[in-house]
Amino acid sequence: MQFVSEPAPTQRDAQAALAEANNQAGRVRRADHQLGWIVLATAVIYLAVAVVVSTLPDPRQGGPVAGPAILAILLVGLVGLVYVFSRIRAYSRAAISLYFGAIVAFSLWNGIVVGVSIASRWWASGQPGYHFGISAAVAVIPLLVAARLILRR
Amino acid sequence: MMALLAAASKVEFSFVRDHVEVTDSMLSKQVSALEQAGYVKVDKGFVGKRGRTWLSLTKQGRRTFDRHMAALREIANSDGAGVAALRRS
Repeated sequence: MQFVSEPAPTQRDAQAALAEANNQAGRVRRADHQLGWIVLATAVIYLAVAVVVSTLPDPRQGGPVAGPAILAILLVGLVGLVYVFSRIRAYSRAAISLYFGAIVAFSLWNGIVVGVSIASRWWASGQPGYHFGISAAVAVIPLLVAARLILRR
Repeated sequence: MMALLAAASKVEFSFVRDHVEVTDSMLSKQVSALEQAGYVKVDKGFVGKRGRTWLSLTKQGRRTFDRHMAALREIANSDGAGVAALRRS
Protein backbone atom coordinates (compact mmCIF):
# COMPACT_ATOMS: atom_id res chain seq x y z
CA MET A 1 0.00 0.00 0.00
CA GLN A 2 1.08 3.62 0.20
CA PHE A 3 3.79 3.04 2.85
CA VAL A 4 5.86 1.01 0.39
CA SER A 5 7.46 4.13 -1.06
CA GLU A 6 7.44 6.06 2.22
CA PRO A 7 9.66 5.90 5.29
CA ALA A 8 8.66 3.05 7.60
CA PRO A 9 6.27 4.16 10.35
CA THR A 10 7.55 4.37 13.88
CA GLN A 11 5.93 2.53 16.77
CA ARG A 12 4.06 5.70 17.63
CA ASP A 13 2.83 6.11 14.03
CA ALA A 14 1.59 2.53 14.04
CA GLN A 15 -0.21 2.99 17.35
CA ALA A 16 -1.85 6.18 16.07
CA ALA A 17 -2.94 4.42 12.85
CA LEU A 18 -4.41 1.53 14.85
CA ALA A 19 -6.23 3.93 17.16
CA GLU A 20 -7.65 5.76 14.15
CA ALA A 21 -8.79 2.45 12.60
CA ASN A 22 -10.54 1.58 15.88
CA ASN A 23 -12.14 5.00 15.92
CA GLN A 24 -13.51 4.52 12.40
CA ALA A 25 -14.79 1.03 13.27
CA GLY A 26 -16.61 2.58 16.25
CA ARG A 27 -18.36 5.00 13.91
CA VAL A 28 -19.70 2.12 11.82
CA ARG A 29 -20.88 0.33 14.98
CA ARG A 30 -22.77 3.46 16.03
CA ALA A 31 -24.33 3.68 12.55
CA ASP A 32 -25.41 0.04 12.99
CA HIS A 33 -27.62 1.14 15.88
CA GLN A 34 -30.18 2.42 13.37
CA LEU A 35 -30.84 -1.19 12.36
CA GLY A 36 -31.29 -2.04 16.04
CA TRP A 37 -33.84 0.76 16.46
CA ILE A 38 -35.70 -0.46 13.36
CA VAL A 39 -35.97 -3.98 14.82
CA LEU A 40 -37.07 -2.56 18.18
CA ALA A 41 -39.64 -0.29 16.50
CA THR A 42 -41.05 -3.29 14.61
CA ALA A 43 -41.51 -5.10 17.93
CA VAL A 44 -43.16 -2.03 19.48
CA ILE A 45 -45.58 -1.68 16.53
CA TYR A 46 -46.53 -5.36 16.82
CA LEU A 47 -47.06 -5.01 20.58
CA ALA A 48 -49.05 -1.78 20.19
CA VAL A 49 -51.46 -3.55 17.84
CA ALA A 50 -51.65 -6.44 20.31
CA VAL A 51 -52.48 -4.05 23.17
CA VAL A 52 -55.35 -2.56 21.16
CA VAL A 53 -56.70 -6.03 20.33
CA SER A 54 -56.29 -7.07 23.99
CA THR A 55 -58.70 -4.35 25.09
CA LEU A 56 -61.51 -5.91 23.06
CA PRO A 57 -63.93 -8.17 24.94
CA ASP A 58 -63.90 -10.52 21.95
CA PRO A 59 -61.17 -9.90 19.33
CA ARG A 60 -63.23 -11.76 16.71
CA GLN A 61 -65.98 -9.13 16.94
CA GLY A 62 -63.66 -6.14 16.49
CA GLY A 63 -64.74 -2.68 17.68
CA PRO A 64 -65.51 0.82 16.44
CA VAL A 65 -62.24 2.26 17.75
CA ALA A 66 -59.91 -0.71 17.44
CA GLY A 67 -59.94 -0.86 13.62
CA PRO A 68 -58.94 2.78 12.99
CA ALA A 69 -56.49 2.66 15.92
CA ILE A 70 -54.70 -0.37 14.48
CA LEU A 71 -54.64 1.24 11.04
CA ALA A 72 -53.14 4.44 12.51
CA ILE A 73 -50.47 2.47 14.42
CA LEU A 74 -49.49 0.53 11.28
CA LEU A 75 -49.44 3.67 9.11
CA VAL A 76 -47.36 5.76 11.54
CA GLY A 77 -45.07 2.78 12.16
CA LEU A 78 -44.56 2.12 8.46
CA VAL A 79 -43.81 5.78 7.68
CA GLY A 80 -41.35 5.89 10.61
CA LEU A 81 -39.58 2.72 9.52
CA VAL A 82 -39.28 3.89 5.90
CA TYR A 83 -37.85 7.21 7.13
CA VAL A 84 -35.22 5.55 9.34
CA PHE A 85 -34.36 3.08 6.55
CA SER A 86 -33.80 5.96 4.12
CA ARG A 87 -31.40 7.57 6.63
CA ILE A 88 -29.09 4.55 6.92
CA ARG A 89 -25.64 5.53 5.65
CA ALA A 90 -23.50 2.65 6.81
CA TYR A 91 -23.88 -0.86 8.16
CA SER A 92 -21.61 -3.71 9.07
CA ARG A 93 -21.91 -7.30 7.90
CA ALA A 94 -22.66 -8.44 11.48
CA ALA A 95 -25.49 -5.94 11.97
CA ILE A 96 -27.20 -6.62 8.64
CA SER A 97 -26.92 -10.38 9.29
CA LEU A 98 -28.52 -9.91 12.71
CA TYR A 99 -31.24 -7.77 11.14
CA PHE A 100 -32.21 -10.33 8.49
CA GLY A 101 -31.73 -13.14 11.03
CA ALA A 102 -34.21 -11.35 13.29
CA ILE A 103 -36.78 -11.12 10.49
CA VAL A 104 -36.45 -14.83 9.65
CA ALA A 105 -36.47 -15.88 13.34
CA PHE A 106 -39.50 -13.67 14.06
CA SER A 107 -41.42 -15.05 11.06
CA LEU A 108 -40.77 -18.66 12.10
CA TRP A 109 -41.32 -18.11 15.84
CA ASN A 110 -44.44 -16.00 15.25
CA GLY A 111 -45.82 -18.78 13.04
CA ILE A 112 -45.20 -21.31 15.82
CA VAL A 113 -46.83 -19.05 18.44
CA VAL A 114 -49.89 -18.48 16.23
CA GLY A 115 -50.12 -22.21 15.44
CA VAL A 116 -49.90 -23.23 19.09
CA SER A 117 -52.37 -20.48 20.12
CA ILE A 118 -54.93 -21.75 17.62
CA ALA A 119 -54.31 -25.47 18.25
CA SER A 120 -54.58 -25.07 22.02
CA ARG A 121 -57.79 -23.01 21.64
CA TRP A 122 -55.99 -20.13 23.46
CA TRP A 123 -57.48 -17.86 20.78
CA ALA A 124 -60.79 -19.68 20.50
CA SER A 125 -64.08 -17.80 20.37
CA GLY A 126 -65.08 -16.62 23.84
CA GLN A 127 -61.50 -16.38 25.10
CA PRO A 128 -60.57 -12.95 26.52
CA GLY A 129 -58.71 -10.43 24.36
CA TYR A 130 -55.60 -10.40 26.53
CA HIS A 131 -54.79 -13.92 25.32
CA PHE A 132 -53.86 -12.32 22.00
CA GLY A 133 -51.64 -9.80 23.81
CA ILE A 134 -49.78 -12.52 25.70
CA SER A 135 -49.18 -14.46 22.48
CA ALA A 136 -47.87 -11.28 20.82
CA ALA A 137 -45.53 -10.60 23.75
CA VAL A 138 -44.07 -14.10 23.34
CA ALA A 139 -43.90 -13.75 19.54
CA VAL A 140 -41.70 -10.63 19.60
CA ILE A 141 -38.96 -12.23 21.71
CA PRO A 142 -36.65 -12.82 18.67
CA LEU A 143 -37.01 -9.15 17.68
CA LEU A 144 -36.17 -7.95 21.20
CA VAL A 145 -33.15 -10.25 21.41
CA ALA A 146 -31.86 -9.11 18.00
CA ALA A 147 -32.42 -5.43 18.84
CA ARG A 148 -30.48 -5.86 22.07
CA LEU A 149 -27.61 -7.62 20.27
CA ILE A 150 -27.37 -4.89 17.62
CA LEU A 151 -27.69 -1.98 20.06
CA ARG A 152 -25.06 -3.43 22.41
CA ARG A 153 -22.45 -3.71 19.63
CA MET B 1 -11.06 5.64 4.72
CA MET B 2 -9.98 2.01 4.30
CA ALA B 3 -10.48 1.51 8.06
CA LEU B 4 -14.03 2.85 7.81
CA LEU B 5 -14.82 0.59 4.86
CA ALA B 6 -13.15 -2.42 6.49
CA ALA B 7 -15.46 -2.17 9.50
CA ALA B 8 -18.55 -1.98 7.31
CA SER B 9 -20.38 -4.04 4.75
CA LYS B 10 -21.42 -0.91 2.83
CA VAL B 11 -20.92 2.79 3.50
CA GLU B 12 -22.51 5.73 1.78
CA PHE B 13 -20.16 8.21 0.11
CA SER B 14 -21.33 11.13 2.30
CA PHE B 15 -20.76 9.09 5.48
CA VAL B 16 -17.12 8.54 4.49
CA ARG B 17 -16.74 12.20 3.47
CA ASP B 18 -18.11 13.43 6.82
CA HIS B 19 -15.99 11.13 8.96
CA VAL B 20 -12.74 11.25 7.02
CA GLU B 21 -13.25 15.01 6.73
CA VAL B 22 -12.31 15.55 3.09
CA THR B 23 -14.07 17.33 0.25
CA ASP B 24 -16.28 15.50 -2.24
CA SER B 25 -13.72 15.93 -5.02
CA MET B 26 -10.82 14.75 -2.88
CA LEU B 27 -12.76 11.68 -1.81
CA SER B 28 -13.84 10.99 -5.40
CA LYS B 29 -10.20 10.96 -6.49
CA GLN B 30 -9.23 8.60 -3.69
CA VAL B 31 -12.17 6.31 -4.41
CA SER B 32 -11.29 6.23 -8.12
CA ALA B 33 -7.69 5.36 -7.34
CA LEU B 34 -8.71 2.61 -4.92
CA GLU B 35 -11.31 1.33 -7.36
CA GLN B 36 -8.70 1.12 -10.12
CA ALA B 37 -6.39 -0.72 -7.74
CA GLY B 38 -9.19 -3.23 -7.15
CA TYR B 39 -9.58 -2.39 -3.45
CA VAL B 40 -12.94 -0.61 -3.49
CA LYS B 41 -16.27 -1.36 -5.18
CA VAL B 42 -18.66 1.49 -6.05
CA ASP B 43 -22.43 0.97 -6.30
CA LYS B 44 -24.79 3.71 -7.37
CA GLY B 45 -28.48 3.69 -6.54
CA PHE B 46 -31.48 5.86 -5.82
CA VAL B 47 -33.58 6.48 -2.70
CA GLY B 48 -36.63 8.29 -4.08
CA LYS B 49 -35.20 10.90 -6.45
CA ARG B 50 -31.90 11.21 -4.61
CA GLY B 51 -28.88 9.46 -6.02
CA ARG B 52 -26.72 7.58 -3.57
CA THR B 53 -23.25 6.14 -3.92
CA TRP B 54 -22.32 3.17 -1.76
CA LEU B 55 -18.74 2.09 -1.19
CA SER B 56 -17.45 -1.27 -0.02
CA LEU B 57 -14.14 -3.10 0.11
CA THR B 58 -13.48 -5.86 -2.39
CA LYS B 59 -12.07 -9.19 -1.16
CA GLN B 60 -8.67 -8.07 -2.38
CA GLY B 61 -9.03 -4.73 -0.59
CA ARG B 62 -10.05 -6.42 2.64
CA ARG B 63 -7.16 -8.90 2.43
CA THR B 64 -4.67 -6.11 1.77
CA PHE B 65 -6.07 -3.98 4.58
CA ASP B 66 -5.96 -6.92 7.02
CA ARG B 67 -2.30 -7.56 6.13
CA HIS B 68 -1.55 -3.88 6.59
CA MET B 69 -3.24 -3.83 10.00
CA ALA B 70 -1.38 -6.97 11.08
CA ALA B 71 1.91 -5.31 10.15
CA LEU B 72 0.94 -2.15 12.03
CA ARG B 73 0.10 -4.23 15.11
CA GLU B 74 3.49 -5.89 14.87
CA ILE B 75 5.23 -2.51 14.74
CA ALA B 76 3.08 -1.12 17.55
CA ASN B 77 3.88 -4.08 19.80
CA SER B 78 7.58 -4.45 19.05
CA ASP B 79 9.45 -1.35 17.99
CA GLY B 80 10.73 -1.68 14.40
CA ALA B 81 10.27 -5.45 14.17
CA GLY B 82 7.23 -5.23 11.92
CA VAL B 83 8.61 -2.76 9.40
CA ALA B 84 9.62 -5.54 6.99
CA ALA B 85 6.12 -7.02 7.28
CA LEU B 86 4.58 -3.64 6.56
CA ARG B 87 6.71 -3.20 3.46
CA ARG B 88 5.51 -6.62 2.24
CA SER B 89 1.85 -5.60 2.79
